[in-house]
Amino acid sequence: MTKLMLIPSDKNFDYKCDSYLIGIDGLSVNMPIYYSIEEVESLSSSKEIFVSLNKNMHSSDLELLESILVRLSKLDVKGVFFYDIAVLSIVKRLDLDIPLVWAQEHMTNNYMSVNFWKDKGVDYTLLSEEISSKDIIDIKNNSDCGLIVPIFGYFPMFVSRRHLKKNYLDRFDLSDDSSINYITKEGFTYPIVDSSVTTVYTSSYLNGIKDFVSFNESGIDYVLLNSFLVSNDDMNKDLNMFYGVSDNNKEEYFDSISEMLGNVDTFFLHKESIYKVK
Amino acid sequence: MDKIELLAPAGDLERLKIAFLYGADAVYVGGDLFSLRANADNFSLSDLKEGVKLAHSLNKKLYVTVNIVMHNKEVNHILDYLLELDKIGIDAIIASDPAIIDLALKKTNLCVHLSTQACTINREAALFWKNLGVSRIVLARECSRDDIQDILDNVDIEIECFVHGAMCSSYSGRCVLSNYLTNRDANRGGCSQICRWDFDLLDSDFNEIKGDKPFTFCTKDLSMLQYVPDMIDMGITSLKIEGRMRSLYYVATVVDIYRRVIDSYYHDKENYAYNKKYEDILTRCANRDSVPQFFNGKYDSSCSYYNGRMEVSNQDFLGVVLDYDGKYLTIEQRNYFKVGDSVEIFGPGKEIFSFVISSMYDALGNSLEVARHPKEIIKIPVVGDFSRYDLMRKK
Repeated sequence: MTKLMLIPSDKNFDYKCDSYLIGIDGLSVNMPIYYSIEEVESLSSSKEIFVSLNKNMHSSDLELLESILVRLSKLDVKGVFFYDIAVLSIVKRLDLDIPLVWAQEHMTNNYMSVNFWKDKGVDYTLLSEEISSKDIIDIKNNSDCGLIVPIFGYFPMFVSRRHLKKNYLDRFDLSDDSSINYITKEGFTYPIVDSSVTTVYTSSYLNGIKDFVSFNESGIDYVLLNSFLVSNDDMNKDLNMFYGVSDNNKEEYFDSISEMLGNVDTFFLHKESIYKVK
Repeated sequence: MDKIELLAPAGDLERLKIAFLYGADAVYVGGDLFSLRANADNFSLSDLKEGVKLAHSLNKKLYVTVNIVMHNKEVNHILDYLLELDKIGIDAIIASDPAIIDLALKKTNLCVHLSTQACTINREAALFWKNLGVSRIVLARECSRDDIQDILDNVDIEIECFVHGAMCSSYSGRCVLSNYLTNRDANRGGCSQICRWDFDLLDSDFNEIKGDKPFTFCTKDLSMLQYVPDMIDMGITSLKIEGRMRSLYYVATVVDIYRRVIDSYYHDKENYAYNKKYEDILTRCANRDSVPQFFNGKYDSSCSYYNGRMEVSNQDFLGVVLDYDGKYLTIEQRNYFKVGDSVEIFGPGKEIFSFVISSMYDALGNSLEVARHPKEIIKIPVVGDFSRYDLMRKK
């Protein structure tokens, strides 16, 4: 049975899900909330906990990263997501007992690369949001690596080291203390967050509930739901629908989520992006 | 210590020849397949063979980008392509997809350079790739001087850094704006440069935040010209110029300037002095402002473009020297010029030659006041040391 993994927007841990994915201060990006390592150490949840250390790690981050990994290795953490290869490198060098999740956002697109990282000691791969359902199932059929598939919510399209909003405010002597901003173009609105990095999110919520049924049948290990900009009530309704979806009701549930959130898309689950124009 | 490598881009065989002629030690190009500039002209396998032959005849090197992030459908074709590249005898591939790297290392004799798309910015990641068998790492453009030095001090591997050209606004590889906004896959070569678009910026209540210019992610270009001596002394192996889709003039100009700076520094480190005129030439050539970006740890608003500007094509490049008979320069025209214009001719390793066009003639010997037709053959009387593939530009 495919498990539901949730990126929570609050620290209550009262969502109906199987697993949580949480970020840690200073070493994670693109998360609605962040925890201190002490908070993680004191967590008592019956749910599985995954930790995302998905920042690009500069030299100055390595000391903190190593100390956090050592502390995480002593906890009952189900897995650590990584973007930067430094995470894997340190875990292997120190022989730490930490299951690893290759989570390089837009790089996790084919089964041969998934198998490469599996061979290097990775336990799971978080697949990219830019590949189709067919590609996802093909990867499952060609790899022994555990798979996590993004299936619901806003997801990052762009991550910059630059503070793009702050730079704009500075240049034109403007002020704004919003923690979440938006940019608009041609009728579409995109959330943008300038914190330790600048992240731009998709214009709509990904709603992959119709594909969840086939992912479940194919043996996908987890699907990932992001509660960023979703109310607690709506998120629990969404989770309930994911737990109850079947071939018989998936259209109805898809419509229900669409109606509830008003702004959903299936993005690349059923369409291919192109790369050669001429 | 070996002299630092100057690595130039080329979009076709002509630009490859120009890059070598103007002083590149190595050139990187994209093949027809698996390259991140899918819409460039790119090199067929026979072009690559010719390129390798030329490079090796000059004791120089040719690298081929195989730097897409594959989807499943590409997986079945990649090995055949790598075997072809191996057979041709290229000096290295530049790749970021670990599947491609692994295949190249296990099934071919190809050297592998890790692409900047892999976003390597620390020693731990660098050590992983070195242990895998990668022979060179192209660092991410987000690296500061300290990041680079830390890697150099701790990992015994060739390090390549970008020194000039356009920047991604995102961390290398961490952007799919193009996929979502235009359905063109950025990581398979279809990037439509959304980061140069203007947007309206809104606060959390959806009120517009409006400056004098529109909000954009757009960054100035990278120029490390003034830091070339530092980069040489740090122990970097290769200095890379961005721009496989850039013009012949751009490639020649940028390679020429960096060649002069590198050679000048090696020639006399004690008395080396930065030449501001070179910086001005590069700025005019690219027609965009450039800054050192992340090297000094500074990436504030001074690195951003808020011009709301249209890209205006550069008219500085006037023509290519086809021949010189001791009296007349034969030029193939590229932009408008006229009698009375102050121009300069530059060529590899030569002093820049300035003069005023006193008269000129068409191919039949008819007197001309203006040269207005692209690729028109123009003869100009002037005495100097000129060679084929010297270039003429506005002074």
